[in-house]
Amino acid sequence: MAEYFGATVADIFNTMPERFKPEEAKDVDIVIGYEATGEGGGKWTATIKHGTLKVEKVEELKGCKTTIHADAEIFVGVTLGKITAIDALTSQKLRVVGDARLLMTLLPKIFVPFTVTPRKKAVSARAILATVESRFRPEKAEGVTMNIGYDLTGENGGQWTLMIKDGRCTVREGFAEDLAVKLIMDADVYAGMMLGTIDGASAFTSGQVRIEGDMMAAAATTKFFHKYVDPNAAEAEELICLRVTNSIDQRFASGPVMGRWFAGLKEKKFMANKCPECGRTQIPPREICAICRVRVHEFVELGPKGTVTNFDIVYFASPDPLTGAVRDTPYTPIYVVLDGASEQDAFAFELKKEDIDRIKVGAKVRPVWADKPTGSFRDVLYFELDR
Amino acid sequence: MKKHKKNRNVAIIGIGQTSLSSHKEDQNQVEMVQEAVINALQDAHLTIDDIDCIVHGNMELFEMQFAPDLWHSLGTGAYGKDEYRITTGGTTGMTLVCAADNLVASGLYDTVLAIGLEKLQEGNTTGGITNMADPLWFRNLQTGALTGTTAAEMINEFGEERAKRAAMKYRIMMDKHAVLNPRAHRRFGLEYEQAEDLMANSPQLVGELRLIHMCSQSDGACAMIFTSEKKAGKGTGKPPVWIRDHIQGHREETIPNLFGAVKPEMTHHYCARKLYERNGITDPVAYFDVFEMYDPSAWWAMDWLREFFLLKGDEHIKMLERGDFDLDGKIPINPSGGVIASNPIGATAMLRPAEAALQIRGDAGPHQIKKEVRHALASGFGGTFWTALMILEKDLNW
Amino acid sequence: MAGKKVAICAVAQHKNEPDLWYKRFQGMLLDVLEDLQAQTGFDFNEDTGVNTIVSCSDDFFDARTISDNGVTDVLGGHYRAEEKMAQEGLNAVGYALAVILSGHSDLVLVMGHCKESQSESRNMISNLGFDPFYGRSVGLDYMNAAALQARAYMTKAGITDEHLARIVVRARQWAARNPYANAREILEEGRVMASPMVCDPIRQLHVYPVSDGAVGMLLASEERAKEFTDKPVWITGFANCMDSYFLGDRDLTGNVALKKAAERAYRKAGIKNPRKAIDVVEVMDAYAYQQPLWMEGLGFCEEGQGGRFIEEGGPGKYKVNLSGGMLAGNPVIISGLYRAAEAALQLRGEAGDRQAPDVKSAVAHSTTGAAGQFHSVLILEA
Repeated sequence: MAEYFGATVADIFNTMPERFKPEEAKDVDIVIGYEATGEGGGKWTATIKHGTLKVEKVEELKGCKTTIHADAEIFVGVTLGKITAIDALTSQKLRVVGDARLLMTLLPKIFVPFTVTPRKKAVSARAILATVESRFRPEKAEGVTMNIGYDLTGENGGQWTLMIKDGRCTVREGFAEDLAVKLIMDADVYAGMMLGTIDGASAFTSGQVRIEGDMMAAAATTKFFHKYVDPNAAEAEELICLRVTNSIDQRFASGPVMGRWFAGLKEKKFMANKCPECGRTQIPPREICAICRVRVHEFVELGPKGTVTNFDIVYFASPDPLTGAVRDTPYTPIYVVLDGASEQDAFAFELKKEDIDRIKVGAKVRPVWADKPTGSFRDVLYFELDR
Repeated sequence: MKKHKKNRNVAIIGIGQTSLSSHKEDQNQVEMVQEAVINALQDAHLTIDDIDCIVHGNMELFEMQFAPDLWHSLGTGAYGKDEYRITTGGTTGMTLVCAADNLVASGLYDTVLAIGLEKLQEGNTTGGITNMADPLWFRNLQTGALTGTTAAEMINEFGEERAKRAAMKYRIMMDKHAVLNPRAHRRFGLEYEQAEDLMANSPQLVGELRLIHMCSQSDGACAMIFTSEKKAGKGTGKPPVWIRDHIQGHREETIPNLFGAVKPEMTHHYCARKLYERNGITDPVAYFDVFEMYDPSAWWAMDWLREFFLLKGDEHIKMLERGDFDLDGKIPINPSGGVIASNPIGATAMLRPAEAALQIRGDAGPHQIKKEVRHALASGFGGTFWTALMILEKDLNW
Repeated sequence: MAGKKVAICAVAQHKNEPDLWYKRFQGMLLDVLEDLQAQTGFDFNEDTGVNTIVSCSDDFFDARTISDNGVTDVLGGHYRAEEKMAQEGLNAVGYALAVILSGHSDLVLVMGHCKESQSESRNMISNLGFDPFYGRSVGLDYMNAAALQARAYMTKAGITDEHLARIVVRARQWAARNPYANAREILEEGRVMASPMVCDPIRQLHVYPVSDGAVGMLLASEERAKEFTDKPVWITGFANCMDSYFLGDRDLTGNVALKKAAERAYRKAGIKNPRKAIDVVEVMDAYAYQQPLWMEGLGFCEEGQGGRFIEEGGPGKYKVNLSGGMLAGNPVIISGLYRAAEAALQLRGEAGDRQAPDVKSAVAHSTTGAAGQFHSVLILEA
């Protein structure tokens, strides 16, 4: 099975049941199909129904509400967050047929994220000894001539001699004739000491390491070398992301101009203010006409009906800034020139969901008001087509 | 019209960027700032001791860091120096360059370093942009900077097929440029043959604005160093690039009145018209050798090219179709890959004059235009259709 | 730079209030704009009017991304250049000076606003001014950072609780004469010393009160100033300076940044001895202990002699904060703008009941950041 980023596609699906959060999926009823192409790929379905999950490897994706397609490598990369989902989606390397929102909304809610525990690659004594020559510090071993023997036992063991002479250090297999000192230990103990996972002094005390010859010379050798650095250590670097929500409560003043606007809404009226110079009707009203740079005093009632001049059909699941909840898509803000308004000054509001398919520029619309307006933007429920 | 005059000439002598990416968990804000600053200093063959003043900018609410320049001073090198922090939303990066130009031209400072940055991954960008809207009204309606109205208008004006093709050709062209730019964030390797597929299948965001059309959210920083004419070229390795003139135009807050039955002159058009007029530029397409434009989406980019070049009818679409905007075309647009490829908001608008200046110096890297670049245009965009526009020159001869 | 090349032609202040619940900041700024236009008759004509506006506000205090977007119209910024100084407002004056000296514009409108009352707590905002890893986690905000500085400075300079009370009492006496001040009630020393300890050694009445306000100024080049005023106030020096970020890295009582900013500003204005050259001083004393501390940094008091400075009537001698100062209440984001506005009024002879005689030169100071990490100094002359 092909591995990408240290995991296989099958790993993702095999761990799904243990990552599933049934309490978050109580109201969910959906079948999601997954197709990972290329080496190590395959097809799976996840059937989520009222807090239960069934994951199946299948031949054919059938009966799925939404299907997700990507190359196996992309699939694993996106799942692990090694590849940015939005970039994969944008470049079409990841395709979603159906509701793409569930990638961002539903799935993170009902599954604990898939992670791989990095498998520490074992470093052999032989590999560490191969770095001895490059770690040698001639300035610390001036005038030193010495042969040090290593008798490493066990599966990964062997015999080596470190020869220090004339400001150079060479390593060769086998023992030289005149060893100043010989260190005897298991090869894994040597590797552990060099990696810092085994404490040298304790290993000696406990008898895991035996020293034959000049013990002081053995102790002195450490300063002749730069510390061994595990080439895999970089992966273990600590990068921490703090997750914090900052919020500071606010109390916004309306002032008399916006105050008049909200008072109008309370009476189901759109109160714009009219520039004394250019005559434009500002909706919602502003303290000043930006164009003429004069204070605006006169209020006029507009609409309530109007003509659509432009509209947006929004499919993107952005959070509602007022509540933080993900808004239901699609929704449609329309731009409306209300009856009696100056023609450049449109008013924006949301269109009734049922009318989205029939909206056109030039359409006539009317507001639908809340039963009991309170003087807030919630007083207008939506605009609807005026027939 | 008053002819624009400057107290003394100002040169760009150092440019430093970080890589632009959606993942910079390996750096905190200060470290990212420092990387850009060091790169700019090295580029200018200067040390931080040569800098008199720092100008800093990013959006507070994107990272939720109040008065961020105070903490970032550990990376900007502002300790013991004069410092200003100036922000104007999306145009911030360009405003910082305008400010640095003013500060050096004023004679108050000889050498100024400007730094724009954003770590968008540390906040919710669309939420942050939505917080732009008045809390009493419109915040409930806004969806970040996403709108499909320009797509609808272009489809209405030029026909569905031609308009969609133009937007997609522009998008793929930007990706082809980005692929050449090793610093760009998103480099997909798109081919023109994919246009049909992308036009039909890229997920829709708002109307015909699809995911593929829209800019990225990136982390990154850009730093630039400016100095006076007297000091430029003294001990610096790279030739100076001159700031000839700049203009900024903001609009009132209300957005819906851009979508009424009649339309006001766009700020892009207004600023371009004024800037060319006071600099005696009658044919901008002929005059400029490159344009680094702030292009948040492919649709806006196509529409805005007409505004910035003061073109009429479908001339901008014809130019695109002819290949005039390609890297080897008549007036290449965004050799860097533009904002669509990389968008660290506080740095984005600074990357435009930075990349334009690299083109003039001739050392942009793999995305360098082959023919000589003498006159460059760079734009910034932000707020409720705010514009900043700047002319850069190779020679001091205007 | 020394010379009279850029003038403040007019200043307008919105009265500082504890809670302008009935007014949006748009309305506050519009009052200020109309005041300035009434004084000078300037307009926004494309060729001859104001084409560049330097605003000052803050996204956190306004709770809006791009806080200047909400006020573009009331700044006159529609189809004009508008740049937001996202620092304390005195720097907006410094930057506007550069814009005019550069030749880019010959008129610049400076407009700042802030409503501290809008947020639940200004300390919650300044907590977010610390790095997210350490400073925020240990609960630092500008108030308790100031308390650390206060403790260190009071020990060094021999400042007592009585001294601080005297500073506050004097501030209120002057504030009572300033129609734009927020806290104008006359206080007795005993009441200051009996006010609750909010962050030892800082008492409640040692802290500037929560304030809402707005300030505007019209700046013009030498050539154009006479079109708008016959009493120009000349900007002859400006500089600012950044200290290090971590409190533990800094000498909290040594005025490292302020001394450099002051030295650079004085040099530009050709001032060798500020004690002789300056007639009135406006310092941003957000907390009572800061008034003598900043006076040391500005060169009006020997280092570490703040206690004696108070004893010997230094604040009166050097005419410090005849506006009442920040202790009478200004929003933190634009306190320096209020300082500069008062200095300009003094120089114009328009300071009403607080007018000092024969004012020829003034210094206005502001600071931002924890315990004065960053300082700005503006020199004005008649």
